[in-house]
Amino acid sequence: MERFAFLRRFTRNRGALIGALLILLVTVTALAAPLLFPTDPLRMVGPPELWPGEDPAFPLGTDSLGRDMLAMLVHGARATLLIGLFASAMATLIGVSVGAIAGYFGGWIDEAAMRAVELFQTIPNLIFVLTIVVILGSTLHNIVIAIGIVSWTPIARMTRAEFLALRDREFVQACRSMGMHAPGIIVREILPNALPPVIVLSSLVVASAILFESAVSFLGLGDPNVASWGRLVGDGRQLIRSSWYICAIPGIAIMVTVLCLNLIGDGLNDALNPKLRDR
Amino acid sequence: MAGQLSGAVSTRSSSRRAATLRLLRRRLIQAVPLMLGVVVINFVLIHLAPGNFLDVMTAENQVSDPATVELLRRTYGLDDPTWLQLVKYVWALLHLDFGFSYRQNMPVLQAIWVGLPATLLLMLSSITLAFAVGVSAGVVASTKVRTLWDTVVSVAAMFFFAAPSFWLGIMMIVLFAVKLGWLPVGGMATIGGGGGLLDILHHLILPTLALGLFYAAIYARVMRASMLEVAQLDFVRTARAKGLSRTRVTLSHVLRNALLPVVTILGVQMGTILAGSVVIESVFSWPGIGSLLFDSVSSRNYPVVLGIMVLGSLVVIAANIAVDLVYMWLDPRIEIR
Amino acid sequence: MTAIPLEVRDLRTTLFTRRGEMKAVDGLSLSVGAGETVALVGESGCGKSLSALSIMRLLPDPPARIVGGEVKLNGQDIVPLDEEAMLDIRGKEIGMIFQDPMSALNPVVTIEKQIAEVVMAHSGLGRFQARARAHELLEQVGMPDAGRRLDAYPHQLSGGMCQRVVIAMAIACRPSVLIADEPTTALDVTVQAQVLALLKRLQAEAGMAMIFITHDLGVVAETADRVVVMYAGRKVEEAAVDDLFEEPLHPYTAGLIGATPVPGATRGDRLADIPGMVPALNALPGGCAFAPRCSRAMERCRREKPSLTVPVAGRLVACFAVAGEAA
Repeated sequence: MERFAFLRRFTRNRGALIGALLILLVTVTALAAPLLFPTDPLRMVGPPELWPGEDPAFPLGTDSLGRDMLAMLVHGARATLLIGLFASAMATLIGVSVGAIAGYFGGWIDEAAMRAVELFQTIPNLIFVLTIVVILGSTLHNIVIAIGIVSWTPIARMTRAEFLALRDREFVQACRSMGMHAPGIIVREILPNALPPVIVLSSLVVASAILFESAVSFLGLGDPNVASWGRLVGDGRQLIRSSWYICAIPGIAIMVTVLCLNLIGDGLNDALNPKLRDR
Repeated sequence: MAGQLSGAVSTRSSSRRAATLRLLRRRLIQAVPLMLGVVVINFVLIHLAPGNFLDVMTAENQVSDPATVELLRRTYGLDDPTWLQLVKYVWALLHLDFGFSYRQNMPVLQAIWVGLPATLLLMLSSITLAFAVGVSAGVVASTKVRTLWDTVVSVAAMFFFAAPSFWLGIMMIVLFAVKLGWLPVGGMATIGGGGGLLDILHHLILPTLALGLFYAAIYARVMRASMLEVAQLDFVRTARAKGLSRTRVTLSHVLRNALLPVVTILGVQMGTILAGSVVIESVFSWPGIGSLLFDSVSSRNYPVVLGIMVLGSLVVIAANIAVDLVYMWLDPRIEIR
Repeated sequence: MTAIPLEVRDLRTTLFTRRGEMKAVDGLSLSVGAGETVALVGESGCGKSLSALSIMRLLPDPPARIVGGEVKLNGQDIVPLDEEAMLDIRGKEIGMIFQDPMSALNPVVTIEKQIAEVVMAHSGLGRFQARARAHELLEQVGMPDAGRRLDAYPHQLSGGMCQRVVIAMAIACRPSVLIADEPTTALDVTVQAQVLALLKRLQAEAGMAMIFITHDLGVVAETADRVVVMYAGRKVEEAAVDDLFEEPLHPYTAGLIGATPVPGATRGDRLADIPGMVPALNALPGGCAFAPRCSRAMERCRREKPSLTVPVAGRLVACFAVAGEAA
């Protein structure tokens, strides 16, 4: 019943519904990429710089090397979504851990955690990502780690705030008086109650992680074996005078995906915590 | 009467000045551990890098002169235990010794110093644009809730919040520089001739839009919500009961209170804005620290990369202090946070 | 003959919400003479504040709108006036004081500016003259160390001092009508007495007509000349203050007076004598709104709404039980 109520509230938000459906579509295409375009998308298949619509075989045209834009876009979706999801998961893991411990224990632990949050907010995030990637190497998982490391601070702050509000509630005190240990209380009692706003934030971090990744790839520092959308934009920037569509198309893909994720975040926010709207 | 008035005003301003100084001192003291943290993170990164400390600080074997290698060996104490190495590293940074960049053939600090003003200019103009556009759009949307204006602002904010800034920049170049020919494609001044203030401003327009509109979108959303929230507060009704018009009440009572969350967010985002300007610089060939950063990153010139990180953090701290002062000026309740 | 400062006739304010229309103020009539104080009493949610905001035309629209009746200010009906014309009336002809003085003042604007603002809006005074007037007003409302408080911010003042500032703003343009909406509720008991004394003094000096909204009948006994008791948006009883306390006619009034703590008794369960709660406006019973809580309710009370009758000269009451007794 509760679950249905949640679904109803979520789907009443038309933007969120559209966003969710579009993301579903992007995800399905990404998963089906090897079936839709079984050949290597980075292979030359036609004449270069074919505009979209010029040849029905390449509905989105070809790039400067005669590669099928649509095939690259669909394959690129895999990388983009995967990095976004894993980076957000990483940020959530770090953020929730730090925030939960800081909020539950308070005192100097809290103080130290908040200083760390401040520290990570001070370092210009993308420069930090580039530095990590360049030092550790441009591989997919290093990029995920780097984005996770710069994205956890808002989640930590939110989790901490929720824990601060919940840690002195009766049910928590009851657990404490029954001799339950801190880890148990944190994970089994407080965390489930603190999670809804954190989930909303995590969905927004997926969006910002995608933007991060696209910037890293755009600058030519992405994994050289992966053609994510950001890299496609970067590859096309030399040709903006003659064939600007090469830049425009993957950029639109990024924008629409991020837009949908933001809409989903808004919808989740309304559905999960009506009281926290506009926060 | 006049004397009494000026007396009251001066006591107020002097107590404000004292509070400002207290805040400044406190913020500067807090900046020390923060900077130390940045340096430690750098140090850890250097140790994570493949190769040893010496390779890193000499930009991957680009130094072959044995005398120089020996000098670095002594400066950073490479035979010492790790903690002593850290101390020596901090010590070197304290003396503004960020290492030597062999690609530019100058000390790292000097190489960064060359590009910093251009980056700061881009940052400042983007923040100004974001703040002005975002706040006005938010105010308009909130005073015309559920009208066409409100919808236009919301939709525009949604799009600019989702568009990658570098892509937006490229698309604007295509439209305004390549197709229409109104604005320059890139750079900071027209090559040969140029370089005047107007010329620089002309070059500044597109990069500022590309970087600033994303933040304008955020501020518009926050400002709208904040305006609507403040408009519900009791003192707004009091002001209306005094016979002030809606517009007067909005401008002189709601606006200032509603700005506070926007200013807070601005402070939190300083680092992001600096980093974003580095990407935009690459799109527009803006001669800031961005190009230096990419050059250093692709040539694995670590000392420069790390130097940019340290100096960038310093810029963010300074900008944050400025934001705090603005906040304090806006909200008299905050003496020291 | 001079016109009565404030005369409200059959005022009707309705809330238009998604869950239907709610009659928040349902045919209220009252008049306040110069120098007179009329108390508007009732539990919270019975329409007192909405009546005041209707008179000021400060209703949140949507959802609230005046759907009928007139509000005559010195003989002129202000209900048909447009917003622009109301700007000249609010703060100038009618001053208003609010419940929570701390939140009624803008936290980021100095006291002086907040007072000077109303002065400048309604007079031709410039910045410096307005400041001088603000100083004068602060002294008039008994602000200690008035000159130094001009540049203070609300958070630097106590609740009582803030209320003095709000009062100073309300009387700044010498209005003929003053509406005080629970002006002492948020204050400490000792401060309450000071603020009440101040209001009475200012009223006497200027001969203002005052509507005093409160749920505290102890305060009513001290300040009011006449009392209007409201329940669920309607006036259920009106009487001179002495008559009312001597012999409350409406069962609701009797309950309120019985529920008012005698000095010395502990505060707390104030409405022990009236079981139940004020009904939600969208769930009003068909007949007398008070019937479900009334010990004297009869069959007729649940069917019909009682209208106001005059059981004794100078008194009004809307109750079938009382009307039946008199007949």
